[in-house]
Amino acid sequence: MAVASLAPDAGEVDQLYIETRELRLQGFLFFLISDCVLFSSFIFAYLYMRNSGQGWPPPGVQRLDVAFAAWNSVVLFGSGATMHYALENFKYGHFMRYMWFLLATIVLGVMFLGGQAYEYNHLIFGEHVTWAGSGIFGASFFTLTGMHGFHVFIGVCYLTVLVLQSAAGVYTRGKYFGITAGTLYWHFVDVIWVVLFSIFYLL
Amino acid sequence: MNAAIIERLGAVIAGIVVAVVAFYALYKDWNSTGVENQVFKLMLLLLGIGAILALLAGLNVVGFAPPVKS
Amino acid sequence: MSVAAVHSGGIADHIHPEPQGFIRRYVFSLDHKIIGIQYLVTGFVFFMLSGLLAETIRTQLLNPNGGFVSPETYNEVYSIHGSAMVWLVVIPLLTGGFGNLVFPVQIGARDVAFPWLNMLSFWIFPVSGLMLFSSFLMGAPTAGWMEYPPVSLQGQAGTSMWAAAIFLVGVSSTMTGLNFLVTILKMRAPGMTFTRMPLFVWGQFATAPLLMIATTALAAALAALFINREFGVPFYDPTKGGSPVMWQHMFWFYSHPAVYIMILPAFGIISEVLPTFARKSIFGYKMIAFSSAAIALLGFMVWAHHMFTSGLAPFLQLPFMILTYIIGVPTGIKIFSWTATLWGGKIHYSTAMLFAIGFVALFTLGGITGIFLAAIPFDLHVHGTYFIVGHIHYVLVGGSMMGIFAGMYYWFPKMSGRLLNETLGKWHFWLFFIGFNGTFIPMHWLGMLGMPREVATYDPQFTFWNRFETFASYLMTFAILIFFVNIIWSIRYGKKAGANPWGARTLEWQVPSPPHYYNFKHVPTVYGLPYDFSQPLPYKGLEEELTDSPPAVAAGAH
Repeated sequence: MAVASLAPDAGEVDQLYIETRELRLQGFLFFLISDCVLFSSFIFAYLYMRNSGQGWPPPGVQRLDVAFAAWNSVVLFGSGATMHYALENFKYGHFMRYMWFLLATIVLGVMFLGGQAYEYNHLIFGEHVTWAGSGIFGASFFTLTGMHGFHVFIGVCYLTVLVLQSAAGVYTRGKYFGITAGTLYWHFVDVIWVVLFSIFYLL
Repeated sequence: MNAAIIERLGAVIAGIVVAVVAFYALYKDWNSTGVENQVFKLMLLLLGIGAILALLAGLNVVGFAPPVKS
Repeated sequence: MSVAAVHSGGIADHIHPEPQGFIRRYVFSLDHKIIGIQYLVTGFVFFMLSGLLAETIRTQLLNPNGGFVSPETYNEVYSIHGSAMVWLVVIPLLTGGFGNLVFPVQIGARDVAFPWLNMLSFWIFPVSGLMLFSSFLMGAPTAGWMEYPPVSLQGQAGTSMWAAAIFLVGVSSTMTGLNFLVTILKMRAPGMTFTRMPLFVWGQFATAPLLMIATTALAAALAALFINREFGVPFYDPTKGGSPVMWQHMFWFYSHPAVYIMILPAFGIISEVLPTFARKSIFGYKMIAFSSAAIALLGFMVWAHHMFTSGLAPFLQLPFMILTYIIGVPTGIKIFSWTATLWGGKIHYSTAMLFAIGFVALFTLGGITGIFLAAIPFDLHVHGTYFIVGHIHYVLVGGSMMGIFAGMYYWFPKMSGRLLNETLGKWHFWLFFIGFNGTFIPMHWLGMLGMPREVATYDPQFTFWNRFETFASYLMTFAILIFFVNIIWSIRYGKKAGANPWGARTLEWQVPSPPHYYNFKHVPTVYGLPYDFSQPLPYKGLEEELTDSPPAVAAGAH
């Protein structure tokens, strides 16, 4: 594979790259902030409606069972850890280890999505809790977790592209902003799930 | 042994592993500089907290579990 | 200190070759100046369309029983008038339009940070505008520009189209805000510290985070409205456990910062125009700059003052009232600083200056009625009456639109190379000023007497003042027609402007009009504030800008 391209390449990283990387990093962080506001708005809506004085959980809805969700959350958090080590290994030039950690992240991400599908299936067909038919619980739960699941899906696609690009030798030890951005995004998705897990299953 | 107990066991064991890894990575990265590394540190901290929460949920300390149907 | 652009070989020394084809140069352009002009043209087209809607409203109100359009059509007309004026006219003109056109040159950058993103945010804007106006075809929204549920849940099919259109224009604003923020943070010329930035840049710098953060909250509210209407997911539907008041919270969490989005860049324009034509350093530069930031921050904490009548918990009402009073303080600092700038200046009453002075006067009036409205007892009395309509038009037309006109007269030479005609400009100003006050002053006492807003008919005792307002509004429209005639005439026959017709000192006036594609031959070094009219210019490296020499760096050097 493209291990050769990971040789130290002094001189290839020019001033233009350093400055544009700084701009892209800043822009990407601002994008994450505004995405965070999007989630916060829906979280605010959920907490607001939950506390609007009609009792919780609403009639006809059971409290969510935490057992499976706990396992599924750990799967996603684990993928955050593998992604972290993927980036670390890339930084220090261990290309193959980077690839394996990246693939592990993708597998864990897909596992999480499968777990979400299982959970949805259980809720919709097992307990008859639906998006439109279960009042504010269904509205906020399916909207927020659905948005999050969509973000995970986008992240999985992004990481798959990263695998292909890395195999083609796009990233070198000096120029790997795409991997940094992917790591930032994946951590962001994880952290959003920490909040969603807490407010839906633990609160 | 029913499914819920396996799920809980998995959550507890994997939760311990992920929390340890996250905090270890945070410890190793503590002195790194740069905007993205500061963000990474914050994210790792939250990740560790999330893993501990999931672990506690697996131990039935927090969260809700319906009575086990026999 | 800006790190970027100090070292050689970076962005500052990197010039892309100028595209040659018409399409790449003027349609799908990456050049921030062209994109700014595109925003201005599109924005003024939408301004004309929603101005027509405004005149429909006023014509309907000539008679107590209306009769010009049906009450249902009237509801559609004022809803689209408000939405279009806010989202398609004032916000894009001030941020996308003047922001793109001016501030990258003012900070000494070659372009914004992400030119492709900039092009994308522009092209979303006309599309969403067309979507908004096309909602007339399927039955436009009828609940006003705020679209409160449950009325908007029962509204016609176009309400969903409205939500989608505003969502899209919000995406465009968010991307613009992100782009501007990164540009101002990272791409300032060497020596351009935060306390040496021109005040227009400070206006944009305070606006950009609002665009980025608040607009996303609006996107969430609109998405929830859309899925509630289309899929029956009960976010706002009280019969299924949803909460209509939640929409008000989410909407005003955006829309109160949005009024600062609509006024902070105008503050910036005024802070550029006043010192230039008073030939005097701006009074209290740092106070004006920091008060913009303070307004932006406080703007997030006052949204519920729109909801005093919506069943807000009493323990929340008092803090929101007090915070709303507090936001008057930084605004007052600006007004006093501008007045002190004029004090003892050698004032040149050009049209841009007239609009700037008109802005200070009218915005002060609008701000004072805003302080009235912050008081809960008074707000309970006039909420939903024409007093509110008068107030919002004093700050949005007397404030933002006057700022936009001042900016047009001030920067038109920079974008076209020709001056706008001053005689027509003065006609424009005086007719507009008189027509504006004639239209909106009577609204205050009509509101105090209890004339409700957003209703197609009214009590016959209000007939005289309503007719007075309608005729005054025709005068205002006539003034705006003069403005458009002036622009079209001046593009062809206006007096040649040269690089610096006003003797202004910010960076954009030190380069030719219109500036080169790459803005600067050498990126200049900045040594001080741009407002000290008694001192030599605080820039180095601009000697060759007005000569015929080629740029220092060959195009496409990388």
